[in-house]
Amino acid sequence: MNAALTHRHRWRLWMDVGLQAWYSLGDRRFRTLLSVLGIAIGVAAVTLIDVVTHGGRQVVFAELQTFGLRSVWISRDRKLVDPLKAQRTGTGIDNTDYESLRQSSCCVAIARMSPLVLGPATMSHIARAGRGFSQVQIEGVDEAYVAINNDRIVRGRAFTAADVDRARPVVIIGAKVRDDLFGPAVDPIGRELRLDNRGFEVIGVLASKDRSLLTSIGSGQDANGRLLMPYTRLQAMQGTNQIDVLQGEVREGISAKLAAQSVADFLARHHREAYSYRVDTMEEYVQTANNILQGVAVIGIVAASVSLFVAGLGILNIMSTAVLERTREIGVRKALGGSERDIMLQFLLEAGFISLFGGVAGLVLGGLACVAIARVTHFPLDPAMLFNGLALLVAIGVGLVSGLYPAYRASTLKPVEALRYE
Amino acid sequence: MIRLTGACKRYRNGGSDIEILRGVSVEIGKGEFVAIMGPSGSGKSTLMNVLGCLDTLDGGTYELQGLRVDRMDSRELAHLRNRRFGFVFQLFNLIPRLDAMRNVELPMIYGCVPPAERRQRAAAALERVGLGERHHHAPSQLSGGQQQRVAIARAVANDPDIIIADEPTGSLDSASSDEIMRLFADLHSQGKTILMVTHENDVAVHAQRVIRLRDGRIGEAA
Repeated sequence: MNAALTHRHRWRLWMDVGLQAWYSLGDRRFRTLLSVLGIAIGVAAVTLIDVVTHGGRQVVFAELQTFGLRSVWISRDRKLVDPLKAQRTGTGIDNTDYESLRQSSCCVAIARMSPLVLGPATMSHIARAGRGFSQVQIEGVDEAYVAINNDRIVRGRAFTAADVDRARPVVIIGAKVRDDLFGPAVDPIGRELRLDNRGFEVIGVLASKDRSLLTSIGSGQDANGRLLMPYTRLQAMQGTNQIDVLQGEVREGISAKLAAQSVADFLARHHREAYSYRVDTMEEYVQTANNILQGVAVIGIVAASVSLFVAGLGILNIMSTAVLERTREIGVRKALGGSERDIMLQFLLEAGFISLFGGVAGLVLGGLACVAIARVTHFPLDPAMLFNGLALLVAIGVGLVSGLYPAYRASTLKPVEALRYE
Repeated sequence: MIRLTGACKRYRNGGSDIEILRGVSVEIGKGEFVAIMGPSGSGKSTLMNVLGCLDTLDGGTYELQGLRVDRMDSRELAHLRNRRFGFVFQLFNLIPRLDAMRNVELPMIYGCVPPAERRQRAAAALERVGLGERHHHAPSQLSGGQQQRVAIARAVANDPDIIIADEPTGSLDSASSDEIMRLFADLHSQGKTILMVTHENDVAVHAQRVIRLRDGRIGEAA
């Protein structure tokens, strides 16, 4: 007989039964409100955690970006137990290596490469100009360095091949060095600074880079204290042709580890296995950061889910109470022809409404909290992230699952017993 | 129209079974007005619930116009209650948060009557019981007699053949009782079959036939 119902009839029944559910909720506003609030807090917690971890990820990746996400570093491996190799001096990389590397076709996976010669501990690291002085981190590099490190020159120019070939006494300085030595009002380009009793001409200033988070957890130096000069110049000051590290940028779509290893292998062959080399890749660091962030996110989501679970128990409670209180009403509805399915549907929809409103309220709550947190902590939180629909689905799911048992109990009540209930 | 044969119903009470109906056989024709009487515990309410498809039998058969009601599942019974029966209870049993109109609409909602037709029929039913101007009163704003009139409007809204009334005047003063009984007389004159449980003789006089129950068995017919 129900098979005779058309689809339109079925929709109307849903609408009407939904309306009945709606009236019932209106009848116990305060308790409904509490349940809605429970779901709202759960949803707000889940979404907020989600947005905060996304924001955190953005902060971390923005800082990792300052090293160049496709960067690799090749240097001598000093943690060796082989005594023969360990007692050899030198960095294992020199200018001849670099020249042959550039001419060889072994490392096509590397788009760009720059030597890094680090200012040795024996040298003064205080740069002076007039009465200003600044503690600097000296790096000898070549013309590819700026591009590899995602650096930007805000004033002046980058190094040219000629600067490097002729070992010119020119420097590019970080934002902090510029402020220390010249102050913000003076244009430092073309001015002289003195380092280790030698004069250098400032030809460029690097854009400021934020690594405050990484620096605060002890990894990564302050990028704004750098003083760059042609590596040939720094070598000349020390009278060596040694290179500490080779930094390269791997072409897109190629495994950074493999590309860097090919350079290390080349160097090892070139020195007839006299040295061992280690490779470090940004890819690995990014991976590590990713793993940590994911772990944090999982913990957060689990914690927030507990509150959603408790909210679900709240719905279970309010719906069970409702079924008890309205036993007589259920009996009447059955006497008037309400089928088990109609009754079940009504109570499920009541639970569904609670969780739907809770979900929407939770998103609004989460959004407000998001804006507030972003304003106070200057954390880049995007409230738009909240509206991925998933939270809403989860909330409604929680409501329906919680409503299932009470609704089932209501639907299977015997009409005569329900009517007799006092 | 209704043929109940050898109806048995037991309830479990503590450790022992109590037999409420012990082989009741009843036949009721279309358009009859039947009163069911008997002392409390005689099984008259149970008989009423069985006839109204609110309760199921433990033994015996129930035929409604040739349909074997005792073999139906809960969904078919719900459908039957919706289409064939209208219920009037002693305590009115209106749904408190719904106004008069919406209470009357309820059986038509479960019967999938389109909203416009539903409202029209509900208004007509309220008109017939003399509550044409009280569509939007909540049950708590109505007197007992008015509530029972809403309940009668609800019982007839889906145009059933059979009206089942369980002590419909049991909670009313005599003036209201008279009005209610006049409504039942009207319904009877329109051809409805009416089954009414009562213990008041001046109510039972409206009926064409009285079925008396004693200890789960039919006594003498009057």
